[in-house]
Amino acid sequence: MQAETHGVSSAGAAIQVRDLHVAYGGTPVLHGVSLDFAPGSFTALLGSSGCGKTTLLRALCGFVPVRSGSIVVGDRDVALLPPEKRDMAMVFQSYALWPHMTVLQNIGYGLKLRGTAKAEIAAKVASLLTMLGLGGYEQRKVTALSGGQRQRVALGRALAVDPRILLLDEPLSNLDAKIRMAMRHEIRAIQQRLGVTAIHVTHDREEAMTMADRLVIMQAGRIAQVGTPEEVYDRPASAFIANFMGAENVLPVHVVRNEDGTAVSAGHAVARLAHDDATALPLGEAVAYFRDDVASLAAPDAMPQGDLLVPGRIAARSYPGGLYRYRVEAVGRQITVDDAARHEPGAAVGLRIPLRRLHIFPAAEAATAA
Amino acid sequence: MASGTPRHIMSLSQRQLALLLIAPGLALVAALFLYPLCFSLVSAFTAPEGGFSLQAFGKAFELYSGDILFTIVIVVSSCALTALAAIAIAGTLTLGENPWVVGTLRALYRWPLFIPFIVAAQCMRTFLAKNGLMNNTFVSLGLLEPLQAVSYLDWRGIIITFVWKQTPFVALLLAGALASLDRATLEAGRNLGASRLRVLIELALPQAMPTLLVALVLSFVTMLSVLSVPMMVAGSQPTMLTVDMAFRINAYGDYATANALGVITYLISAGAAILYLRHGMAKEGAP
Repeated sequence: MQAETHGVSSAGAAIQVRDLHVAYGGTPVLHGVSLDFAPGSFTALLGSSGCGKTTLLRALCGFVPVRSGSIVVGDRDVALLPPEKRDMAMVFQSYALWPHMTVLQNIGYGLKLRGTAKAEIAAKVASLLTMLGLGGYEQRKVTALSGGQRQRVALGRALAVDPRILLLDEPLSNLDAKIRMAMRHEIRAIQQRLGVTAIHVTHDREEAMTMADRLVIMQAGRIAQVGTPEEVYDRPASAFIANFMGAENVLPVHVVRNEDGTAVSAGHAVARLAHDDATALPLGEAVAYFRDDVASLAAPDAMPQGDLLVPGRIAARSYPGGLYRYRVEAVGRQITVDDAARHEPGAAVGLRIPLRRLHIFPAAEAATAA
Repeated sequence: MASGTPRHIMSLSQRQLALLLIAPGLALVAALFLYPLCFSLVSAFTAPEGGFSLQAFGKAFELYSGDILFTIVIVVSSCALTALAAIAIAGTLTLGENPWVVGTLRALYRWPLFIPFIVAAQCMRTFLAKNGLMNNTFVSLGLLEPLQAVSYLDWRGIIITFVWKQTPFVALLLAGALASLDRATLEAGRNLGASRLRVLIELALPQAMPTLLVALVLSFVTMLSVLSVPMMVAGSQPTMLTVDMAFRINAYGDYATANALGVITYLISAGAAILYLRHGMAKEGAP
């Protein structure tokens, strides 16, 4: 049952997913996904509800039958194997602990299946519990534990069998915010210490960015972008990804290229970019996406200084802490801007947006993303 | 509960109204169940000439101790086999992966639920007899020589009928309980390397055990009280207590012994109920 455990048992395995097609009944959910997972890497599958991220994870561990394609772990294709033969350990969103068993029995179950001696199971569970900060909890009923403790037990149960691949299915979404923050770092630290290959499904952008060293953004059953958190955050590959990664302000712009360079205009405001910076920009009607913290407020008649200075009027102000948050009406749109200075609602302002921080996509693509 | 005087008056009148509402039902229970129950209890402990006596019990044990044991063995083994069959069916419905098998089983398994015991007994008479459908099928398939055919219309017939009739009921309740489990708890087992059989036995069934026990206790009491099946399927000695009770009354008008057998039947079913309650209390008392 145990896969070839070359070298250290907890070292991660490589996974190659090739042209994976999965359907529920007659409805296709994954349309030919190909993805590589390096040994010991931490990958987050990120996307909105129904994008296929959980389906991909469940197809990897065998809970969803694969219609076509391959899942190669090490050097064997596991796509057609039943879940119990795949040697991947999963942590479930609902924890999925067995209520009729103690903490010791829950964590030790995988070892019991592998024929490990009782004393050895007890020793291993004790060391895992110590690592998870639950030392001495062996004989507790899992129903008597808090949410955070249950999630630790679920993590311990998955790690007890020295898996080479750890699958995390939104494991933190049922925890309250404070414990969630702590668990993010704990899971990441444990994964790095053990060197296990981890795949983490989440719809929480911040969770994915803080835990993973690689993000896979999924959209409608396909991979939309793969990259490090910085790459995906700073250089989103499409309007959908820009929007999903938090660039929620949308500004219609017009891009024109001539011998002087490239000009980006929004309403009457115009800014220019040098040639080398602007080669990737789409020409004609386009849509610019940017985050709340990218723009700032200036006087309506301030000097543009190379930025796009769009005239607008403050529609609302709130104070979430540290900075003021403004809703500004500009070019017929509502734009959210964070700024340190206090302005009164109704005041005319200039919305200063640095061109380099805009994510600009053709208007046609932006329409489909919305 | 009522704080002020007006509410007090109102709640009193409501209480009276409630009593009035349940009075017809209560009277019916008293007349049709409690009175006959008390009457049969009193009769079981009364000597023919009057006064308290254990004479009827003495006679019941003298004549029917074999049948008491027979009844317990039949009902307990029927319950055990019913449990096994129901676990197999409910387990397949919950963890089965072949949609054809699961679909067919789901469509078929409930049918015996809608057949009365007496019809089930009649079906089994034609099915299990020496020249019955089962043996004839085996002979025509070449699995059995005609001379080897034996009748199953004895204790085996009773057990087969009981199991056939009660399995759908237990399977229905158990499948419902298994379906309502958090599916992830079963997936977690397979994910760690457990086969489907181990998942069923070690992870799913313990979680559904209270439901299984209720279904089995109800089946136990039902089987204990069926007259038609032992009478029609196995007529001869030994037989079940229901047949003995009917015989004492119909042949001799001997209500005292029949009532003593009735009390013994109460005690047997009370035993099953106590076992169930003790299990429930042990679970609740657990930390």
